[in-house]
Amino acid sequence: MTAAGSKRGTALIALGLTKHYGGLVANNDVGMRLTSGEVRGLIGPNGAGKTTFVNLVTGVEVPDAGSVRLGDREITGQEPHLIAEAGLVRSFQMARVFGNLTATENLMIPYFASGAREGAAVGVARARELLRLSALEPLADAPANSLSGGQRMLLQTCAGFMIPHLRVYVLDEPFAGINSVVKDTLIDLIMHENSSRGITFLIVSHEMEIIRRMCPLVTVMIAGRVAAEGTLDEVAAREDVITAYLGRTAA
Amino acid sequence: MMYTTELLIQTVISGLMVGVLYALMALGITFIYSIVKTINWAMGEFYMIGSYIQFVAVHFLLGPNYWWLAVIISTAGTFLAGYIIEPILIKPMYARPMQRRDDYATVVTIALLLLLRSLAVAIGGPNQYRPETNLPIIWLGPLPQEGARVAASFCAVVALGLFWLVIKKTWVGLALRATAQNRVAAQTSGVDVLRLDATAFAIGVAMAGLAGALLAPLFMVFPTNGAVATVKGFEIIVIGGLGSIPGALIGGLLLGLVESLGTSFISSPYQNAYGFLLVILVLIVKPNGLFGEKVREA
Amino acid sequence: MGRRTLMAAVAAMTAHVAFVSTPILAQDPIVLGVIAPLSPPGETALGQLVKRGAELGADYLNEKGGILGRKVTLSIQDSAGKNEQGVAAYRRLVTQDKAVAVFGFVHSGVNIAVNEVAKEMGVPTMGTQTGAGDVTAKKYPIAFRTHAVDPPRAATWVGWIKKNNWKRVAILAETTDFGIGLAKETEKQNKDGNLGLEIQTIMFDRTTTDLLPQLLQVKAFKPDAIVNIGVGQPLELMITQANTVGLLPDVKMVTSYDAPARPQFWQIHGDKWKGVSFIAFYSPKSELSELGKWFAKKYQEKFNEPPVYGALNAFGNAVVFAQAIEKAKSTDPKAMIEALETGSFTGWSAVPVTFPKAEGVLWHNWSPPLMVLTYTAKDQSVGDAEVSYTLDK
Repeated sequence: MTAAGSKRGTALIALGLTKHYGGLVANNDVGMRLTSGEVRGLIGPNGAGKTTFVNLVTGVEVPDAGSVRLGDREITGQEPHLIAEAGLVRSFQMARVFGNLTATENLMIPYFASGAREGAAVGVARARELLRLSALEPLADAPANSLSGGQRMLLQTCAGFMIPHLRVYVLDEPFAGINSVVKDTLIDLIMHENSSRGITFLIVSHEMEIIRRMCPLVTVMIAGRVAAEGTLDEVAAREDVITAYLGRTAA
Repeated sequence: MMYTTELLIQTVISGLMVGVLYALMALGITFIYSIVKTINWAMGEFYMIGSYIQFVAVHFLLGPNYWWLAVIISTAGTFLAGYIIEPILIKPMYARPMQRRDDYATVVTIALLLLLRSLAVAIGGPNQYRPETNLPIIWLGPLPQEGARVAASFCAVVALGLFWLVIKKTWVGLALRATAQNRVAAQTSGVDVLRLDATAFAIGVAMAGLAGALLAPLFMVFPTNGAVATVKGFEIIVIGGLGSIPGALIGGLLLGLVESLGTSFISSPYQNAYGFLLVILVLIVKPNGLFGEKVREA
Repeated sequence: MGRRTLMAAVAAMTAHVAFVSTPILAQDPIVLGVIAPLSPPGETALGQLVKRGAELGADYLNEKGGILGRKVTLSIQDSAGKNEQGVAAYRRLVTQDKAVAVFGFVHSGVNIAVNEVAKEMGVPTMGTQTGAGDVTAKKYPIAFRTHAVDPPRAATWVGWIKKNNWKRVAILAETTDFGIGLAKETEKQNKDGNLGLEIQTIMFDRTTTDLLPQLLQVKAFKPDAIVNIGVGQPLELMITQANTVGLLPDVKMVTSYDAPARPQFWQIHGDKWKGVSFIAFYSPKSELSELGKWFAKKYQEKFNEPPVYGALNAFGNAVVFAQAIEKAKSTDPKAMIEALETGSFTGWSAVPVTFPKAEGVLWHNWSPPLMVLTYTAKDQSVGDAEVSYTLDK
């Protein structure tokens, strides 16, 4: 049984999201629906508007038009920390870790920020477990700036898992620039959290092999619009998708 | 004048005693900057507020025996003032996109400075006041020191220790350290940075208020009494590096020492010059201050 | 509240604070300019007293029907004790506000710098409480002063010291025009008059937070008397710390101006008041003019404390300028200056105010009566203080 098949509810729905930067339309009427517990891939050539979409959904930027709902809750244009509180969390392309804080402290921040209702001890235990799963346990008390780039990405991803009420996790290029051992650790971690906690994922990535392994469904964005949705093999067969990717290659 | 080891030790002690109080001022400035990214030019006016509360508490309410309770009240009072003022004056800077944030902060805090001073003149008049003290003269070896001065330094050390505990051991401290390092990342981790700004601003100005309360029996209470402390605070910021907490502490002690040694062993009229000399030396060797990081251009 | 609203509110607040007094009378009023230190590093307590005196001066003049039948308004500017800021204020007063006279000076440096500009622009100035020689010694036609200059002031404490047969004198002076000038003048009078005093002079920075090193040197010198030439905070700090090291109350100390005459002295020093004397220019025992009596009454009513010298002098400057304009029947600077040089005016004191074209620092200078006052009991009022020495004219 896949996690996606276990529940049927809607985790996140975005409707008609539009964002202009001056004359440039970065997102044009973009819509997406994530089913609870699914792991969705978001692909598209560079400049297709994937990061803008992620920013609009997670409150980093405010859309010119459109709406975002997380479960039953309207979250359009809200502050990022309020959206995080509601259960929608994201990671960044460049790992945003706090270099002067230890790995454990990095993980405790989102835990405390989300209320720490179960107490600090539970948080620390959870942080230890996540560090073990990500093979970072020996570095638990080292400052985060002593970690490698891949390890930082792992740590950043773990930080999201520290939020007890995490429902939808948006990962922006989590596999970029990290070695294959760390990649496998990260994939295992994501799939573990997906199956054990039923967390919904939206993964933005260029790594088609990983997307194929992890995501039953992918959404393709081209030039600020949603161009296709389906299995990776289905969308890869589509004419417009091929043209967009080849067009880029040719250019 | 005799240059004895004894005199040297005494000078060092009295330099360090002043230094911890300088450090308190500088720490307040640098701490607010590290979180809110704003230089609070009205820092001396919070020193002034602390000194006035201390005076009122000791003179009218508690009496000199409870000076320590008055110090706690003054610090809490300044904290509260900061916690109320920040959302009104500083928060609009972040609540919506704004160009020229630095200019905004400068204008707003200087206006606050003028407002608070005028308020002090309106309420207390131009007169100088002094909270009574009955602390006895304390002899450090053959060197007599006002009891209030020794008490002020001691309390400043305790306050710095408390600050360290809060920063290192509490959740608010962790959130503050994270925000100081990366504001956006802290926000996306779910930290309510706007509320944290108010807390940081309040903690920073409370340090100035504490310094004002502690020094009130020595340097008195009047509308512009915070000006010298502010100048010293900013000197230390240049020495230690803007936004650096160790820089503020070490810079404060260093400035106290240099002034004290220079005054005793070189020539007394130029107390300020020794401080500025130190500033210039640091600027030549380390333009961003001893502990300063490279300043990012916004 | 929107950002614009907020900025506007802030701007309004700033404006209100910066321009303390705004001319509001429509019908061509006569504007008197005031330049006083209202923010640091200026001596702000004194600046506020000057402001009080000047404002009561304008009140008095308007109550009496103005000057030449015209209303009187003040334009009060802040020098912050800084020369360049004072000069800018003078230019603004003359060119924008059309002030016909400027007074209120407390810092000699500001007064001297302004006079350099004023001698070109022509509007006369009056030093309210500036002591340095060069304020008047340059003999500029526009420069007037109503304050004790260095020679009589130093002569007052030298006379007091001689009267008590003291031999060893420590001078602790701040490194300003004021402190340096008085320290040198005292040494000069000792040398020129063959007085045989042994003088130890120690200078200190006026922003100092600790005078202990200097006072320990003084203690080692074993003086009979200490001359405290600090202004504001260091003056008080020196009294506190002289008690700490055990110099006071046995070694007598005289302060170089009348700070202890202010009511706050008792609040600040409490039981540690013994052994302190002070130079004063006004004691409630001093004889006042009719105008001075009006002022003393109003001041007591308005501020609930007896008037002090700085405020009296600022008031005096305003009414003397007014009388000069009445005498000249004009606000033309040249006519006013001639009236000031030749007339005799009534200020706050019963001693008439004149500005003779005398030699040296006494050029255009009216000096208030000088004395040394000493409290004889705790919480005494200035009126009951002992007059320990009076400088003969």
